[in-house]
Amino acid sequence: MSSKQYLQTHTLPPDPSAPSADVFSLATTPSHLLVASGHSSIKVYSTRGQTIHPDSAEDEHPYPLVQTLEKAHPLGAHHICASIDGRVAASGGFGGEVRVWELSQDSSSGEETWVKRGDILPPKTKKEREAQNASGESWALALSENGQYLAASTHDGKVNVYDTTTFSKGPTAERITQYETKGSFALSVDLSPDGNMTASGHQNGSVYIFSNTTRRLIHSLTGLLKPVRTLKFSPLNRYLAAAGDARIIALYDTKSGEQIANLSGHASWVMSLDWNWSGEFLVSGGYDGKVKIWSVERRECVATQTESEKCLWAVKWLAKGAATRSESFVTAGGEGTLAFYREAAGT
Amino acid sequence: MDDEDFEDLFAEAEMLEGSSQESLTEQLADVDVIGRIEDVFERVVNAVLHEDELSLTLNRRPRAVQQGVPHINHRNGKLRFPGTTAEEAWRFTVVIRILELMHEALRTGVVISKRDIYYRDPALFGSQAHVDRYVDDIAYTFSVPRASLNVVAAAKGLLAGAVSFCRRDGSMCCASSDRDGMLVPSLRELLSCDMSKVKWILVIEKEATFRSIAASSFWDMIAADGIIMTGKGYPDIATRAMLRFMGTASPQNGFAAPPVYALVDLDPDGLAIMSVYNYGSVALAHESAELRVPGLMWLGLRRENMLVDDEPVHTSQGLLSLTAGDRRKAMKMLERCDDLEMRSALQSMLMMNTKAELQILDSIPDGMTNLLRPGLGYS
Repeated sequence: MSSKQYLQTHTLPPDPSAPSADVFSLATTPSHLLVASGHSSIKVYSTRGQTIHPDSAEDEHPYPLVQTLEKAHPLGAHHICASIDGRVAASGGFGGEVRVWELSQDSSSGEETWVKRGDILPPKTKKEREAQNASGESWALALSENGQYLAASTHDGKVNVYDTTTFSKGPTAERITQYETKGSFALSVDLSPDGNMTASGHQNGSVYIFSNTTRRLIHSLTGLLKPVRTLKFSPLNRYLAAAGDARIIALYDTKSGEQIANLSGHASWVMSLDWNWSGEFLVSGGYDGKVKIWSVERRECVATQTESEKCLWAVKWLAKGAATRSESFVTAGGEGTLAFYREAAGT
Repeated sequence: MDDEDFEDLFAEAEMLEGSSQESLTEQLADVDVIGRIEDVFERVVNAVLHEDELSLTLNRRPRAVQQGVPHINHRNGKLRFPGTTAEEAWRFTVVIRILELMHEALRTGVVISKRDIYYRDPALFGSQAHVDRYVDDIAYTFSVPRASLNVVAAAKGLLAGAVSFCRRDGSMCCASSDRDGMLVPSLRELLSCDMSKVKWILVIEKEATFRSIAASSFWDMIAADGIIMTGKGYPDIATRAMLRFMGTASPQNGFAAPPVYALVDLDPDGLAIMSVYNYGSVALAHESAELRVPGLMWLGLRRENMLVDDEPVHTSQGLLSLTAGDRRKAMKMLERCDDLEMRSALQSMLMMNTKAELQILDSIPDGMTNLLRPGLGYS
């Protein structure tokens, strides 16, 4: 078994109201796929429990649109993330604002919808900027397992951590800590699934891991030298995968800080990556529209798909539902299309 | 307005100059100059309301430097209205009118030349020399460079290619005769232009790129079919008017309507410059209709042009990170812009945090030719 095969099982066309809008970011929960794009609204699709047979038309709408969060970000949204438990989400807009969402259950119908929990707005005046010790706008976002903590990176290389349960107590969420780096734009950020670590990837190629317990820097990781556009902790917190314009995916051991592997094969900048639920595979998307699946154990690429000619901004594994036996993932980017792939049976 | 007020203004200007963030200073300075012009207007209005004498103080530039000692007594230009003589009333009016035009240019982000100012009201100004003098005195009074008032000395656009112009005096001039390009002529001097050979017009953001194309062997192949043009950054009115004149069918241009392409940096300024040619300025809609080129097509740079394969090119000077000022500007443009293609370009530029300058095409072998050849419809 030298390689795997993935079949494209479904595509969703671009939003007809904004056909030229890129899809910039995706978030998945056990039941939903959240889509952030150049359009002002956020789309929520259901991913719950469908079995998809590529050879039959029995399920023509496996990913129905279940909710549109209208006018969420007037200038468009660049990042979206969700907590692992699927109860909280956060989206970042080009105006520099962050909106935190929560899944709310209607008491009578039992139907679950996303509602706004609160906004974190960029400082408007110089005074506010000084008070917050920040240039302002939030960029990349990550939520902790239950959504209580939100890490938001900034243009001037900081990572702010907010407590999203404090919206009810004041005008915005309380910032509980701020990690400072050398000031290079923090393009990517992640929180480890166990909540103990925060990692940030920067324009100048730096990667930092901070301890959320001691609130100190624990590792300054080198080796990429070029903008780090995406990074993710493995499901069991053991590894950190980071990638970007260096065209390789660097795997770091989060305990020792050592770089344990370089996954090379992308001919272009790596824009996005994601671990599957078991930590055995990585999916990555490139500026040239190529998607690659990597075996972490074998440290090699096991499948390549050409999804598009345009940049792929986001790739995400879908939650493995009870009815879905095989692994599936979704890609999105400059075409505005969502493309769903499933591992072909028998490989 | 008395001298003390001006002292305050000077103090303000000095504080601004001390600021370290370059782009921020630039923005603040713009806002500030607008504010100061408005202050002048406000004082005049107040004077009218209170039936006071209207006056404003204009600092004359030190004229000659005699034996190394600058002229010290340069705070002598108090203008009154109606004043004691007709000439004084006229001078007051001229200064107010120029301030008004500057204010309009600043508010709408348009660059005007001294010539443009003169032609807005030739009856009032009388001669170009008066305009030149007062423009420079106003800049001196505000202690800002003239460019901060969005005023340039003369038409700055260049063009080259297969067009010839017939002047009002009957003489002809042909843009193909000079390889370095000719200065964009003023429409007022022209009777007509001969566009019969022109299949396309390419308007280029930067003079350096204009010159590099004009010097290329590819230009030798295509020069008989088209026109290249540059406004050297944000275009002045004369350049925009000329592009509109050549690109829009009229009896004077032989009813030619060739496609017009834009080649700009992939950065917020590049896109803003393209938008000025294309839409003019929103706030000046009533005037800019005559200057717009609505069909303008975006030839480059596009984000696809950032996709470069070999490593050395990536690290070369063509690709740069956005500055904080670039990001602010892109965000401001996103707030105003309705053009979906432009919105998408701005958003992805912010996502990439990377801009590409036209020089990138020079660092790739045949980069410019490979962009122009298909873009202008050559196989």
